[in-house]
Amino acid sequence: MANRISPEQVLNALRVVKDPDLQRDIVSLGFVKDLQVDDNRVAFTIQLTTPACPVKDQLTAQAKQAVEALGVGNVEVRLSSQVTTARSPHTPLIPQVKNTVAVASGKGGVGKSTVAANLAVALEQAGARVGLMDTDVYGPSVPMLMGGNQQPRVVEGKLEPPVEYGIKLISMAYFLPKDEAVIWRGPMLHKTVQQFLGEVRWGELDYLIIDLPPGTGDIQLSLSQTIPLTGAVIVSTPQDLALTVAAKAIAMFQKLNVPILGLVENMSYYVCPQCGHREEIFGHGGAREAANNMGFPFLGEIPLDLSIRVQSDGGKPVALDATTSYGKAFQEVAGALAAQISVANAQASQVINLE
Amino acid sequence: MNVSPKSIKLAGERDTVSVHWSDGHVSAYPYAYLRGKCPCATCEELGAQAMRPPSQLPILGQRPLKPERAELVGRYALQIYWSDGHSSGIYAFDYLRSLCPCPECTAKRESASVSE
Repeated sequence: MANRISPEQVLNALRVVKDPDLQRDIVSLGFVKDLQVDDNRVAFTIQLTTPACPVKDQLTAQAKQAVEALGVGNVEVRLSSQVTTARSPHTPLIPQVKNTVAVASGKGGVGKSTVAANLAVALEQAGARVGLMDTDVYGPSVPMLMGGNQQPRVVEGKLEPPVEYGIKLISMAYFLPKDEAVIWRGPMLHKTVQQFLGEVRWGELDYLIIDLPPGTGDIQLSLSQTIPLTGAVIVSTPQDLALTVAAKAIAMFQKLNVPILGLVENMSYYVCPQCGHREEIFGHGGAREAANNMGFPFLGEIPLDLSIRVQSDGGKPVALDATTSYGKAFQEVAGALAAQISVANAQASQVINLE
Repeated sequence: MNVSPKSIKLAGERDTVSVHWSDGHVSAYPYAYLRGKCPCATCEELGAQAMRPPSQLPILGQRPLKPERAELVGRYALQIYWSDGHSSGIYAFDYLRSLCPCPECTAKRESASVSE
């Protein structure tokens, strides 16, 4: 007759399972929940810090193996997630939004909006509650990227954002006729940022992805001043010209004490659909190298692919389909980003007590 | 940015704004000193002219200077709303730290300016 296993034994066994990002074991991190130990059956839940966790399969397998090694025949591992936040509960603006992530670049035309939209989709597909805020007032592109023809509605004095693919959206494009241009000076931009944050009913969100215009100007400054951002993702194409300007965006965020969550290399390479030849149009690996040199995480690379352009123009983000190479690439970047957000939240000391 | 505040108390002891920093250092800024170091464009341009010297004697008709309230600016700065109506200064945390009036920090600043 087998010895009965105690819950303590199970927990001790699980201490060998380490979260590679947070670099601690899942027991001391408090991830193990609802532990049930019956005669020859052990069941528990691993509560991750994000549903987009890139190592969830690895953690599940390791945990199962660790408990089976105790001689338990039937090990049942369930997964759940509780997205972490480092925000003070007393913040006046969007208090129910756990994480705010700015997607930025130095130069324009590197695919910032496409990356922002697809990261939002990939996080939502993983099971997170996501919003996407388009702060590019002059060249708003989120509504086109996300498709649909809904409009924001005013409900009880606040704007109810349209929802596409499960993602709450706001953009200047919703408020203007298609051919009209916004021709504004700085103070108007500042007000817009404040209204997008304060007058929109975002509700409870795990991640609010914020698509920025290129550069280091009014919008970037207003956003960084109005809310304590969780961090920024820098999008760049691999050529030196783009990376040099990206370094300026990084310098700005560092001045404003906004953590850099990582770099994404867009238009990384092109694979000819006819012959399969791979052409590295902008030179491949530049962003990875830059990230390594500056000591920031590299989140991944997105290929230059005709389908991304076609589907983006057609309002169907490619991250909806993870069976394609580019869809998968976006999901991997989203997973890496979510992991970095969890790391940043675990290290956070940004809650400042002001009295 | 190397250090950031853990807590900021506007009504610190002896009319100071008291800041506890993430590295354990504690700074206490007298109100008039901090107001005088306002980094906003107007104050920088006009220097001391922009601010009438706050009187320590309320009987002379001026209300004593103090911060009415303050707000955090993103995660890098503090904006103080002074009782004289001025509020446009955004004190970035590293700037605020560089102003620390404690004897130790003052000595460091002075030796740095001598060696320049």
